[in-house]
Formats: sequence, structure tokens, C-alpha cells
Amino acid sequence: MGDFPILTATLLCPALALLVTLLIPGRNGMAIKAANALCALLSVIFAAMIWVAYDRTVGGYQMLEVVPWVPTFGIDYRVAVDGVSVVLTMLTALVFFTGVLTMWTLETRVKEYFAFMAALVFGVFGVFFSLDIFAFFFFYEVAVLPMYPLIAVWGSTRKTYSAMKLTLYLMLGSALLFPGLIALFVYSGGQTWNLVEIAQSGAFSRETQIFLYPFLYVGFGILAGMFPFHGWSPTGHVAAPTAVSMLHAGVLMKLGAFGIFRIGMTVLPEGAEFWAPTFAVLATIGIVYGAFVAMRQTDFKYVIGFSSVSHMGIVLLGLNVWAMSRSDTAGLDGAVFQMFAHGIMTALFFSAVGFIYDQTHDRDIRHFGGLTSQVPVASSMFIVAALCGMGVPGFASFWAELLVFIAAIETFPVLGIAAIAGLIFTAAYVLRVLGKAMYGPRNPDWENLKDVTLWSVLPRAILVGVLLLFGFYPNLILDMIRSAGGGS
Amino acid sequence: MSTESLALALLIAPLVGSFLALVFFRRKHVIASGIVVASGLVSVIASAMLLFGAGHDVGAITARWFSIGDTPIEFGILLDGRTMIMGAVVALITLCIEVYSLSYMKHDEGRGRFFAFLALFAWSMLSFVYSSSLLQAFIFWELVGLASFFLIGFWYEKPSAVAAAKKAFIMTRIGDVGLFIGLILLFMTTGTLDIPAINTLFAGDGLPEGIAPGRIELIAALLFIGVIGKSAQFPLHTWLPDAMEGPTPVSALLHSATMVAAGVFLVTRFHGLFMNAQQTMEWMLWIAVGTAILSSTMAMVAKDMKRVLAFSSISQLGFMLMGLAAGSLFAGYFHLITHAFFKALLFLCAGAFIHHVGSNDLIAMGRAGAAKQMKLTTVALVIGGSALAGIPFLAGFFSKEQIIGSLPIGAKIGALFAAFLTAYYTFRMIFLIVRPNADSMAVEDEPAHAQHEDGHEHHGPAEPLAMLAPIILLAVGAAGAGYIGNWIGHKLHIEHIEHPSITEMAPAIVIAILGVVFAWLEFGRKGARQTGFVSKIPSMQTLFERRWYLDEIYNVVFVRPVVWFASLCIGAENKGFDNGADAVAHGTYKGGRMVARSHSGRLQFYIGSAIVVVAALALTLGFRNGGGAG
Amino acid sequence: MTLGVWLVFALAIFCLGLYCVLGRRNLIVILIGIELMLNAVSVNFMAVNYYLAPDPSVGQIVVLFIIGLAAAEAAIALSIILSVYRQRKSISIANLEELKG
Repeated sequence: MGDFPILTATLLCPALALLVTLLIPGRNGMAIKAANALCALLSVIFAAMIWVAYDRTVGGYQMLEVVPWVPTFGIDYRVAVDGVSVVLTMLTALVFFTGVLTMWTLETRVKEYFAFMAALVFGVFGVFFSLDIFAFFFFYEVAVLPMYPLIAVWGSTRKTYSAMKLTLYLMLGSALLFPGLIALFVYSGGQTWNLVEIAQSGAFSRETQIFLYPFLYVGFGILAGMFPFHGWSPTGHVAAPTAVSMLHAGVLMKLGAFGIFRIGMTVLPEGAEFWAPTFAVLATIGIVYGAFVAMRQTDFKYVIGFSSVSHMGIVLLGLNVWAMSRSDTAGLDGAVFQMFAHGIMTALFFSAVGFIYDQTHDRDIRHFGGLTSQVPVASSMFIVAALCGMGVPGFASFWAELLVFIAAIETFPVLGIAAIAGLIFTAAYVLRVLGKAMYGPRNPDWENLKDVTLWSVLPRAILVGVLLLFGFYPNLILDMIRSAGGGS
Repeated sequence: MSTESLALALLIAPLVGSFLALVFFRRKHVIASGIVVASGLVSVIASAMLLFGAGHDVGAITARWFSIGDTPIEFGILLDGRTMIMGAVVALITLCIEVYSLSYMKHDEGRGRFFAFLALFAWSMLSFVYSSSLLQAFIFWELVGLASFFLIGFWYEKPSAVAAAKKAFIMTRIGDVGLFIGLILLFMTTGTLDIPAINTLFAGDGLPEGIAPGRIELIAALLFIGVIGKSAQFPLHTWLPDAMEGPTPVSALLHSATMVAAGVFLVTRFHGLFMNAQQTMEWMLWIAVGTAILSSTMAMVAKDMKRVLAFSSISQLGFMLMGLAAGSLFAGYFHLITHAFFKALLFLCAGAFIHHVGSNDLIAMGRAGAAKQMKLTTVALVIGGSALAGIPFLAGFFSKEQIIGSLPIGAKIGALFAAFLTAYYTFRMIFLIVRPNADSMAVEDEPAHAQHEDGHEHHGPAEPLAMLAPIILLAVGAAGAGYIGNWIGHKLHIEHIEHPSITEMAPAIVIAILGVVFAWLEFGRKGARQTGFVSKIPSMQTLFERRWYLDEIYNVVFVRPVVWFASLCIGAENKGFDNGADAVAHGTYKGGRMVARSHSGRLQFYIGSAIVVVAALALTLGFRNGGGAG
Repeated sequence: MTLGVWLVFALAIFCLGLYCVLGRRNLIVILIGIELMLNAVSVNFMAVNYYLAPDPSVGQIVVLFIIGLAAAEAAIALSIILSVYRQRKSISIANLEELKG
């Protein structure tokens, strides 16, 4: 495809969706949904094209496009992808597409909803592509801000509280990030925001790195649900409408981890190494803690919310292991794989729960039973997500966890063992939900639930297919990720 | 057909069968079961052709799968004596059970799903057996656990079934964690997970260079934790009796050639490595002996036929591990094979009785006169039971002799005691069914499970062909499998098998016969009271019946602390993090309000302050500059 | 007449204006005070311009600006005061405390 600006084109898909959504009158809901679905499909296609076009043998940043933005301050629109962002772009496009399909039945304020969602995805794509730190931060904020209206307007269960909590937490993160990023700019000489140049400038002494790194790690880490700043995430998940939960847990949390990797660990390697043991301990606590809290929750979405804390802990552990010993890329491979797998899995989780909630307006696990016989297909989707969450082989997350654990045991043996032991508790809380809600005696109240229609099974089936595909053939994704490990 | 395509067909057939049955035909029961049985047949034929056609070690057929760091991980099918024999046995027994289930599950609404899971289970187990790398083996090990979760919890509307499935999964998962860590350590130590490579590495006497003995002990111990979980050894055995909540064919499958056999098979697979870890082997030996005795005591008092068999599985697995721990690969492996036949047979017989009588309770079966109505099944039961008890010239006798012959003296005494108990409880079970005594004391006991396990009424012949044919086939196996010992040894490349002499065999024979006689005196003879000697000591009877209170102890020692800790975490989450965050937010808000008070709203005050500040600024700056400019 | 006299004169006018702005309640009077302060500044500019600047036009330009600004400011301020009066029937600054925190 030569000089076709594929990244810009991908970035413009949600922008186009936003534009079209704003132009169509609000009463014409179906047209809005169709337009969004088309744009989302287009972004999936583009993401697949990027995947194919990316040259794994060369690695590094590819498909570079540069347009000066604010030349006075050295700010450019500078986009390129490496293996990690290719994978995450695919994830975003898939979750966007399936998210739009999942919200097909939405009736209230359709126009505004899809407008915000498209804006969010626009920001996410921007973050994954940007090589300019300023643009990165810009897109980051674009991605984060629509969460507030999306939860506060369309949410449930204490929605204003949750929306405010989420926004405040994320603003705290941004408040740490912004000075950190400006410091990067200033210390590197104040000439450029170009990530690669800043990383190679060698302008950061060890002390500076050690001082600056926590700003970036914690700032991004809050969005990644790092313990102990995870409080916003379960509440936010619970309150958000289905597709927003999907995007939120599936994609947004990955932005945080991606930021840590792309900016924190690339620019400040020594700082990252210095802090890695500390942050790895926090990540491991997050893994075990999330599992324990999930064990006693009664709300489906709270269980999934805390499982996200636990699973993102694995991502952060993997990243920190990699920061500690970069010669071994297993930690990074596993972390990125886990981002992808968790994104798809959790989207499937929320989508399955959303389906049940839409009909029953109830999410209390204790109020259900024997759903497998009442809505077999919908429940099997949930069960698949649950199995993936337990790290059962055959699903993508098994490989991710395996790689992280292997790397962790080599670098931090005690943490690695603690994290692996966390698998027992993961199994315990997942099976508890399955046993209570999916199995067990039927609840006669829900005898008349309708199972998924062919149309609404489509997005979920796509997600299941992706989980299985990468579960059986992990190399597909590992080659892609690995081509990045050497490049940075 | 080439070896490769045979091996592939053998492994892919059950997967395809499972997938088709689960996704497309789970409501079309006939098609689903047909597909699954056909896939089972393909596996049996292919594995038999491999076993008899290949004849020697083909080695591994591998393909690169992906890599960890720079080490490529290969995915492959390993064809040597150990895998081919085991694979053929697994395929054969699975097929028998699938055919049996055609009749047994005829009235169940979910049998499409049932057959799908059976095939999934067969696929996982076969793939586990033929795995060429430990990682691959681990994957299928986990999938075996998963499939057993679905099968144990097959009647998912019964809370007890769901609880049992959950328990089985979590208990084995505890073992899996050990195995997983062991796997990673092994990978770090040797740099490979390839099974033939590891076996070559540890083939000779003494350790390979550069590997510390402590490391190998650690790895072996961790792997053994996995085995304990899967093969239901003390202290992780408590899931197995509960797993009887599944349909009887599932129990037959789980307890004979699959699931629990996976643990023992893993030990045979890495026997060379284990032999280098003497300390661990010592532990393994004593755990196995302890488990065998412990579970036998539980079997002596159980009233539920399936539970008796479940406890006997635990104890027989103990026997296999004893043999392996004592250093005899052949003994352990041989017993694994013979046990697969007679245990599957016993469970299928049990299923036939349960199906006919509508109860799991031994006394109820006896009273219903099941033995008289089902002559062939009863004969099969006696054959299977005798094989289990180690009665001479049946399958269990030869393999058990091999094990006992390989043991050191201390363990031998324990094993003989366990063998005595085995003979005793097996024939207690048989006599209770075959020679019911209506006037016995046992009448006062309440039946363990009065209702039929799946709650259906069954009409039709007591011994339908689909159920009888597998039973007869397996009965032949249970009677004859003992005579293929030499052939198995040859396949395993064990040049010289020591057959114990008659004097060495004598104690075990005498013990087994003593056990039978004892059972006869208490349960079999005319006018026997049909109460075991254990019931004379009520506290002991209770102890055995409550399974040594292990479930209760675990509940107090492990489950409750975990739940407590989870509550603690929830408290921390709600009271600590949430309230903390809220407090920060409120604090900010309150602080803002306090600062806001200074905004009185009086414009002139604002202007005045502004002027004062500007003036002050002007003055300071003026002085600073003025110093220079004059 | 020296520069000093003019400066003292301008200071006096400025202080009068300042007093009006800070001390009086009536919005009109405050507005007059602002005008006074602006004029004091104009006087300063003219005086300094006359005595010290080499190019006389600079100060005058500034003063013309100030006059123009003052006119515009007076127009806006008076219209605000008028609308305040319509709303509250009062032009006392004591009643305008809505921006209280």
C-alpha cells in the first residue's frame, strides 16, 4: 500500500464516526448505529491491514507519518507503530466494533452516546500511534474525558458518584503525568517532544530518572488500575453501561500500561529498573488482593471489576520484570499478550453480563441460578470468559500468564510464586460465580429470559473466536510483540 | 497410513467430535452421541495400529509452536512404548464408556452435552499422554481438569454436584500450581521442556553436570505436588469421593484410565528425573503407603457403592506410586494399566446396578435382588472385584505382586496391610450385593442415597446390550491384562523383569485370601450379621465414615481463613480505599469551602487587595531595579 | 511650575479617585472615582512628557488612548449599572455580594 497513510486513516475512522453521528439527527437512532458500526468495521479492517503490513523481520517503529503541529515548541503530529501498538490497535478496533454491536438495543440519547464513544476511541487510537509525547498526552486526555458523561448519563448504580470518582482519580494521574512529561521535555533540552529523540538524548542522569519515573509510573498506573490506586476501576465498571465497561476495562486500562511501557520505560530505563522491585511488589499485591476481594462480591460487575484489578496486576508485573532484566523479553511479551487477552476477555465478560442485565435489571449473583439451562448460549459466552479468566489453556490469557510467570520466577522468585498461587484464588472466585449463577438450581423468576438472537450473538462470537484463535496459536501474536521488544 | 497421520487422526478425532457435538448438535442427541462414539472408535483403531504397527520407538513428531525468550517450544506427538500403550488403553476404555453411556444416559435431557464433554475429556487425556513436551503436557493436564469439572458438575442443577466439581477443580489446581512452578524451574535448570531430552538427560546414574542435587529435589517435589493433586493422594485426595456426584460413566472414566491416572502417568514419564531425587522419592513412598491405608479404612465403612470404588481408586493409585517411588517403573506402569481395566469394569458394573435398582446404596442393591436379575453383570463384578483384591491369576494380582516385590521392608508391611484391607472391603461390597441378608443389623441403617442419582425412572431390560458389551469386554481385560506384563516390559525397554518367586508371592496371596475369608465371615456366610468389625468400635467407625474428619479440618484450617481474609480485603477495600478516597475528596471540598470564605463578595475589598498587591510588587521591583539605575 | 508640582497634583487627584473607589457605596461615585484615577494618570503622562521626553508625541498618544478607553469604559460601566438598577432597584455596592464564596 506504499504511501497510503494507514495510521491516519485508522485514526480518522472514529473521527468520521463522530462527525457522521453529529450530523445525523438524533431521532434517527438506527442510522447512527449503522454508521458507527460501519466506521468501526472499517477500523477493524485497517487494523488488520496494519497487522499484515507491519514488517516483523525489521521491527521497530514503522509507517511513520510526520506533520508539524506547533513548530514553536517542537510539537509534531508524529505517528508510527511498533509490534506492541499493532497488537493494541487490533484490540481497540475489535472492542470498538463489538461494543457498537453490543449497544444495538440502546434507546436513550443514542446520538450523544455514540458521539462520546467515538471520541473515546479516537483518543485511544491516537495514544497508540503517537510518537510525540505532547500528542500522546493530548490523545490520552481525549480518551479519558468522555468517560465522565458516558457513565454519569447512561450508567446505573450510583452513577454520578462513580463517574466523579473515576474522573478525580484519573485527573490525579494526569496531574502527576503532566509535570513529569514537561520535565522530560525540559531536561532533554526543550527542543523536541519526539519520543525517540528524547529517549536517545541521554540527557537524563540516573538521579533524574529515579526522581522522574514514579511520576510517570503512578500517573499512568492509575489508569492501569495499579494497586493501591485501583479504587476507581471497579466502581466505574459497575456503573458504566455495557459497551463503556467493555471499552473501559478492555481498552482504556491498557492505555495506562501502554503509557508506562512506551514513555516511562523507554525514556527512563534506569529509573524503571530502580523502581521495578517496588512496583512489582505492588503489582503482585494487586493480583492476589483483587482475587480475594472478588471472592466475596455479590454483584457480577464487581467481580469482573476486581478480576480486572487482578489481571492488570499481571500486566504490570510483567512490565516490571522486563524493566528489571531487559535481555529476557518474556515479561514484556507476556504483559502485552495479557493486555490483549484481558481486553478481549473482559469485553466478553461485560457483554455477557450486560445481556443478562438488560433483561433482568439485576446483577446480584445470589438472585440467579441455573442460567445455563435458561439461556444456554449467553451463559456459555460467560463461561468461556470465565475460563479464560482462570487461565485455562486453549484461551489466550493462558499464554500471557505463563510468560509473565516464567519471567517473574526468574527475576523475582518470591513474587512469581505468590502470583502463581494467586491462580488458586482466581479459580475460587470464578468458580463461585459459575456455581452460583450459571449452575445450581434454577431461579424460577428468570424462566422466561430470552436467549441471544443470532444478531446479538455475533459480537460475542467474534470475541470468543479471537480468544480461541490466540489460545491455540499464540505465535501469531507473540511474533508481533517480540518484534517490538528489540526495537526499543 | 503413515505414522504421522495415524497419530494426528487419533488426537484430532475426539476434538472434532466434541466440537461438533457441543456447538451444532447439543440438542440432537442421536447425532451428537453417534459422532462422539465414532470419534472414539477412530481413536481406538488408530492407537491400536500405532501400538501394533509401529512396534518400536518412533520418537517424537514435532513442530515449532512458539518460543519463550530464545528457546523454541515445540508441539509434538511423542510415540514410544509408554505413550502408545497408555494411549491405546485410554482410547479403548473411553470407547467402552461411551458405548455404555449410550444406554446409561438414554433418558437424560442433556446427553448431547454429556457426549461432547466425554469427547473433550478423551481428547485432553489422549493429548496429555502423547505430549512431547512438559508444557504441552501441562496444558492438557489442565484441560483434563477442566473437562472433569464439566463432567462432575454435569447435573449442574444439583448444588452438591456443582460443589463437588468446584472442589475437584480447586483441589487439583492447588497441585497444578506446584506442577507449574516445578515446570518453570525445570525449564530454567535444563533449558528445555522436551520430554525425550529431559529423559535422556536423567537417564544415567547420577546427575548431569551443573545441576545441583537440591534443585532436582525441589523440582521433583514440586512436580509431585501436582501428582498429589491429580492422583488424589493424601493430603489433596478429598475431592475424589465427592466427584462421585457425576454420572457413573464419568466416575468410571475419571477413575480408571484418565484424570487420576494422569498424575501417575506423569511420574512414569519423568521417572528418570524422579529417581535422581531420593529424598522426594522417600516422601512419595510414605505418602503413597499412608494414602493407601487411609483410603482403605474409609472404603471399609462406606455404604455407597460408588464411594467404595472411589476410595479403592485412591488406594490403588497409592499402590502405583509406591512401586514407582521404590524405583520400579515397570511395577507402577503395569499396575496403572491393569487397574484401568478392572476399575473401569467395576464402575460400569456399579452403574448397571444403580441404573437398575435406582440407588447407590449397597444394602438397597442387595435387598432389591439385583444380583439375581443381572447374572452376567454380577459375574463381571466378581471378576473385577477379585482383580482389585489381588486374587491370584487375575490382572491385579500380577501387577500388585510386582509392586510389593519392589518395596523395601517397612513399606512392604504397610502395603500388605493395605492389600488385606482392599480384599476385605472389596468382598464386603460384593457379599452385600450378592448375599443380601434381610434380617441383618444393617436394616436399621438408613440408605446412603435413597433416590436415583439422576432422578429418572428406568424401564427396560436389566442388562441392555450397550451396557453389557463394554462390561464383558472389560471383564476379559480385567481377567487377562495380567498376562501381558512381559510384553509391556518389552515395550518399555525393560530388559529383565524380575518375577517374584512363589515364596515371595506367598504373603500377598495369603493376605488377599485372608481378607476375602474375613469378609466372608462377616458378610458372606449364611446368617452373617453383615456388620464389619470396625463397627464394634463406634468412635473408629465414625472416624472412618467421616473420612478422618479431613474435610472438616480443611474447612477450619484453609477454607475459613481464606474466606476470613477475603472479608478482610473487602473491609480494606470498602473502609480503607473507598472511604479513604472519599475522605480525600471530602477534605478537598471542605478545604475549598474554607478558602472560599475569604471571598466575601465585597468588590471594594477585592479592588483594594489588588491595588495593595500591585503596589507592593511595583515597590519591590522598583527597588531592585532602582538599586542599579539610581 | 516644576515637574514635581504636577506630580503632586496628579497624586492628589489619584488619591481622591482611589478613595471614591474603595470607600464609597454608590456605583456611580465609584465610576467617577475610576475616571478621576485615569485622569490623574493622564496628567502624569502629560507632565513627564512635557518636561523629560525628547519626543513630545509619545505621551500625548498614550493620553489619547486613555481618553478613548475611559469613554468606552464609562459607557459599559454605566450600562452595567443601569441593568443592576433594573434588577435590584438599587445601585449600592453593599447589595452586590453574589460572588461570595
